[in-house]
Amino acid sequence: MRPDDPSLKRMIPPTLKLHEKFYLPQIVGGLLVTGKHILSASLGKGAITVSYPEDQHVPSANYRGVHRLNKDEQGRVKCVACMLCATACPAHCIDIVGATAPESWSDREKYCESFVIDELRCIYCGMCEEACPVEAIELTGLYDLTGLSREQMIFDKTKLLSVFDLTRDAEPMRYTTPPPKAGPRPTEVEPSGLPGPKA
Amino acid sequence: MATILINGQEYPLPEGEKLNAIQAAQRIGVEIPYYCWHPSLSVVANCRMCEIEVGSKDPKTGEIRMVPKLVPGCQTPAKDGTVLVTDSPKVVEHQRMIMELLLLNHPLDCPVCDQAGECGLQDYSYSNGQAVHRFVEERVVNPRKEVAETIQLNADRCIMCTRCVRFTREITHTGELQVISRGSHAEIDIFPGHPVANALAGNVVDLCPVGALLDKDFLHKQRVWFLSKHDGVCTRCSTGCNISSEENRGEIWRFKPRNNPLVNDYWICDEGRYSYKSANDPSLLTAMYARIGNELGPVLTDQALKSAGQELTKVASEGGKIAAVISPFLTVEEAYLLAGYIKGLSPDAVLALGAVPVVGEDQTFTPDKVKGRNGDTSFLDPKPFTIHAEKCPNRKGVEAVLAHFQGEVIDFNALTGRIAAGEFKALYYTSGSPDLWADEEAARSLRSGVSYLVVQDTLVTPLAQLADVVLASATFAEKAGSYVNADGRLQYAEAALPPRDGSLPDLDILAILGGRSGGPVESSAVLAELAAKIPAFGVAAGGKLPTYGALLGDAPAPLPTNGDAPTPFIDAWSKTRAQIGTRSGAGATR
Repeated sequence: MRPDDPSLKRMIPPTLKLHEKFYLPQIVGGLLVTGKHILSASLGKGAITVSYPEDQHVPSANYRGVHRLNKDEQGRVKCVACMLCATACPAHCIDIVGATAPESWSDREKYCESFVIDELRCIYCGMCEEACPVEAIELTGLYDLTGLSREQMIFDKTKLLSVFDLTRDAEPMRYTTPPPKAGPRPTEVEPSGLPGPKA
Repeated sequence: MATILINGQEYPLPEGEKLNAIQAAQRIGVEIPYYCWHPSLSVVANCRMCEIEVGSKDPKTGEIRMVPKLVPGCQTPAKDGTVLVTDSPKVVEHQRMIMELLLLNHPLDCPVCDQAGECGLQDYSYSNGQAVHRFVEERVVNPRKEVAETIQLNADRCIMCTRCVRFTREITHTGELQVISRGSHAEIDIFPGHPVANALAGNVVDLCPVGALLDKDFLHKQRVWFLSKHDGVCTRCSTGCNISSEENRGEIWRFKPRNNPLVNDYWICDEGRYSYKSANDPSLLTAMYARIGNELGPVLTDQALKSAGQELTKVASEGGKIAAVISPFLTVEEAYLLAGYIKGLSPDAVLALGAVPVVGEDQTFTPDKVKGRNGDTSFLDPKPFTIHAEKCPNRKGVEAVLAHFQGEVIDFNALTGRIAAGEFKALYYTSGSPDLWADEEAARSLRSGVSYLVVQDTLVTPLAQLADVVLASATFAEKAGSYVNADGRLQYAEAALPPRDGSLPDLDILAILGGRSGGPVESSAVLAELAAKIPAFGVAAGGKLPTYGALLGDAPAPLPTNGDAPTPFIDAWSKTRAQIGTRSGAGATR
């Protein structure tokens, strides 16, 4: 976009009127809002807290929680160890060891032997999801991420695959791509459906 | 003076050199993309990527006449009055179409292909190609096969540049590779039952501009963009090939040849290529050892150094003779410090050159401009490549240092005889070689001849088992320094890895023992000191060496006659990336 683009709209800050320059009306207005909230919460109608853990919070569909490693139809990990997620990761929390795929895996020649994410170091920015050409890594809606030690928070391949089993029904894979070898160029793949929690 | 017109600007042509349009344009910073051209191979103009508008300027009238069609730049000689246009819409459109053609059958395996990150197709399709292509038919899928024990051919990724075929015909004269079938079915293949088996086979992997030929040793192990490159010198024979050691996470993953027209041109041998493994050897010494009582046990670094230093000083002050073995695997700087230290302890100490391993005979590949060539050879400057039988990097350098310190070079065998005769009280033994020099018997006889033995090595050898102090030193990858190759060329090698735990680079060990003050020692400082003291090393005055090294004893370094390195694809790519960087930078400030 050029600076002289006619579609650009210039924003000019409004000038303050006389009563606004005194500020008192605004303070009174603010106190009124606060009072309204206090009243509605104490009367039990407008409370916006939940009694966790008895009541579970459902985050919005684009919430970014714990990672999962997706599996294909045959139950194998989808990851092809291209390391693009590890390259894109700004926190350097992903550690992958690639290996030549077994002979019987005719659709690809590489897979991840080990896949480890340090969930403590992760900033949940979702860049790994964006970078993945085969939709193998996704962030789920799981926010209940606790551990008793640092070691427990380092998720390996087994744990990341188990997150997939845990969340596959609630959150189906966002994109479905044919296997990388026979498929079209990854850039041309259209999303088959919008993401969203299953009803 | 001869001049050339490139994109409307006139430039002088270097005299006495035979250049083609690609090289001439490269000299002034204009990039003409290419795949099949290589400065050491004959010109076949297969890929058509370098086609540009060519014409000539009449010297009398100044009139420019252009060739009506596009002409391959690799075949166009840069002569007086040659006119090149590399950026016209016609050329740009042509490059775009060639990219579309090359990518017709090319699988987009970039996520798994080992070439991703240094792939010519990737780079040029980004800079010269387009995002979409119109091909809707089924792609030709060529098989994947083994062409050598260490090399895999993914024929579907091949763009038929035939660089590999020309390499085996023109450089090694072995001709294992060929093109089978024709047209869209053309494939690179071996003759049935005759895999690529020559000493330089691995070079075809480096030559391949796309990911068709892959080194199985490196396959799927690392992505190339994670690797940091360090300019090194191969230490597996006395040729001293220039290499780049590529390292990540404290491990070396591969060696790639680095161009030096005066030593190895663009090649390295397979023996050198896979010698990186000895730097990752898990059995390397991880601590210094000293004999306490009768037991050889691990001790702290300073303790080991202190006990070695004190004991050697004691031997010298009591009038005992000291011998030192200076390994031809040590750098020139280390040999200098060691010789200086031992001679400083007692002037009648004896220095000897360590055992020089010799395996087989020298093997020389002598390409000429005629034999095996199947394209235009007029731009070629073929250079021979020798694999030396002498499997150490620095015999000549150590000899020059020894000649300075004691006037003569004593052979290792001569010294072992004198040691067995009981002439010496203490022995300082250095190795750093990945091969074993002294077997158990030889170690015992060396040990029994002296009453105090210091071993400075990287591996647990039989001699180290018998030593009084074992100083864990650095492998070739962990130390910086200069080596003198068989031709007497002094070349500098960078360190690729930090010293491993428990060890110290040889230079540091010797600096501490020799009591050099002034903080950590730098190889360039030692080299400068050495150049000032030993006339033979005068070329290294100031501790600086030219890019292609310098011949010992020569005053100024001779300039290479044909120093055009082909710009590796990766370099072209980083240039593009820098441009993108500035563009987005400008966007951010707006």
